[in-house]
Amino acid sequence: MRFSRIISLLAVVALGAALTVAGAQANSSKTAAGLTIFAGSSMTTVLPEIDSGNTYSFGSSTTLATQIRNGAPADVLMSANTTVPASLYAAGVVEKPVNFIRNTLAIVVPKSNPAGIKSIYDLTKPGVEIDEAASTVPVGSYTVQVLNQMGINDAIQANVVSKETSDANVVAKVALGQVDAGFVYLSDYVIDPAQLRLIKVPAWAQPKITYAMAIVTKSPNQATAQAWMNKVLSPAGQAIFVKDGFLPIAAAVPTITRISPARAKVGGTVTLTGTNFTGTTSVTIKGVAAKFKVVSATKLTLTVPAKAKSGTITVTNPSGTATSKRLTIA
Amino acid sequence: MPASITRGQLFSRGAKSSAVLLVGGSVLGQFVDTAAASPLSTTDLAYARLLVGAELLASDFYSQGVAASNSGPVVDGYLHRALANEQEHYQSVAGILTGAGMTPAVSGDIDFSYPAGTFASQGSIVKFARQLEELLLGAYLGAIAGIQADALKAGLAQIAACEAQHASYFTAAGGSKAFKSSFPPPLTIDQASDALDAFTA
Repeated sequence: MRFSRIISLLAVVALGAALTVAGAQANSSKTAAGLTIFAGSSMTTVLPEIDSGNTYSFGSSTTLATQIRNGAPADVLMSANTTVPASLYAAGVVEKPVNFIRNTLAIVVPKSNPAGIKSIYDLTKPGVEIDEAASTVPVGSYTVQVLNQMGINDAIQANVVSKETSDANVVAKVALGQVDAGFVYLSDYVIDPAQLRLIKVPAWAQPKITYAMAIVTKSPNQATAQAWMNKVLSPAGQAIFVKDGFLPIAAAVPTITRISPARAKVGGTVTLTGTNFTGTTSVTIKGVAAKFKVVSATKLTLTVPAKAKSGTITVTNPSGTATSKRLTIA
Repeated sequence: MPASITRGQLFSRGAKSSAVLLVGGSVLGQFVDTAAASPLSTTDLAYARLLVGAELLASDFYSQGVAASNSGPVVDGYLHRALANEQEHYQSVAGILTGAGMTPAVSGDIDFSYPAGTFASQGSIVKFARQLEELLLGAYLGAIAGIQADALKAGLAQIAACEAQHASYFTAAGGSKAFKSSFPPPLTIDQASDALDAFTA
């Protein structure tokens, strides 16, 4: 982590103490006129990379949700869990939430690792000083969930010396060496690992960390907000998240149930019916790539390429490939 | 075999079901019943989650080992048999969690990674299988020692015995003596967790 970022994060901590809006702590990043997006602090770096033209307000997803309930003028909420948007949706405050990315829980220690931490189990040793987020914010909730699943929550809580309002604050304290270890998201480490060392949380105990976003019902910018969500879900948007240590939303494997027509000429259009076509990355006819258009999740059209020969059609998305019955090239 | 299968469903399959299935099924039923009968400690549930993760690794490895199609017929047969065993073990230890009203991890939840060349030849597959089985054996022996619910111990011991058979076969197939120690060592939960973690992405 660059020193300037640590200072910035500490400034956020200090600012948080001063803010009084619903007890909120938020780090606003104002740029050109655009949408106003309230987002969990783990997305502080990645969202401006996707679009720098929005106004972002970063903080605890729980706190941001409270602000939106109280009428804060947000267009979109992007939460580090699915429960906060779901509760706002149930209350009619936001439109139906959409899952958009996943994350992994991790442990970070100072680069010098003064406590000699090699495994999560080392955090149970007497004298180790640990920082974690409060259980009222998503990353803190995930931390307690993991520790309970491993049967070591009591032992580790005995070593917790501080509880923060966000993962960013945990990262800052660990990077400055104020504590021996902290629980954060993997993306917090990937984005800026210079002052940190990563300790894995065992895969068998990992919680399912899924982020969800929703358009605020009272937003006057519904169409623009929907376009933003599409951008986040697009391959380009997902690639930026993945670069920063997040995990893509697992798309379901596509299926093909019907080809129409079953006989086509070069240059002709063939329509496929099936499922999970959204996110399709390639379509081939007997191994020859074809131009295609995703009409909907259940309908896809393709153009028979010049070199195509009779054979099966494949549709591939990040989760897998579907293979059709034979298409005859006339 | 679905994780939610009941003992009644299992036994209703009738005499055509093999003895192996009945024995495996009885462990599954025993685990589910024990977990459902009274709350398990957090330690016991942690062991169950760890063993579920270990069995997912084993199933993933043997699936890839079979798919690599570069083993002779004898080793290939044992890879298939070991895969079937590990899948039944997974169903059983997952039953501890489902019996406790929890959701066990499934194959898509954990991404495994293997040393380069693990599936390149029969020899490399056999070598990793031995390492894997020693991990599994140690994890189960550790669980038997550390788990608090006595009713789970016998079933875990049955699985440990099966893993020991796997370890013995693949050790011999790799050219070493099939068995050596009179008392194979158990792994503590943190040792087993760290060993398992070495093979997760």
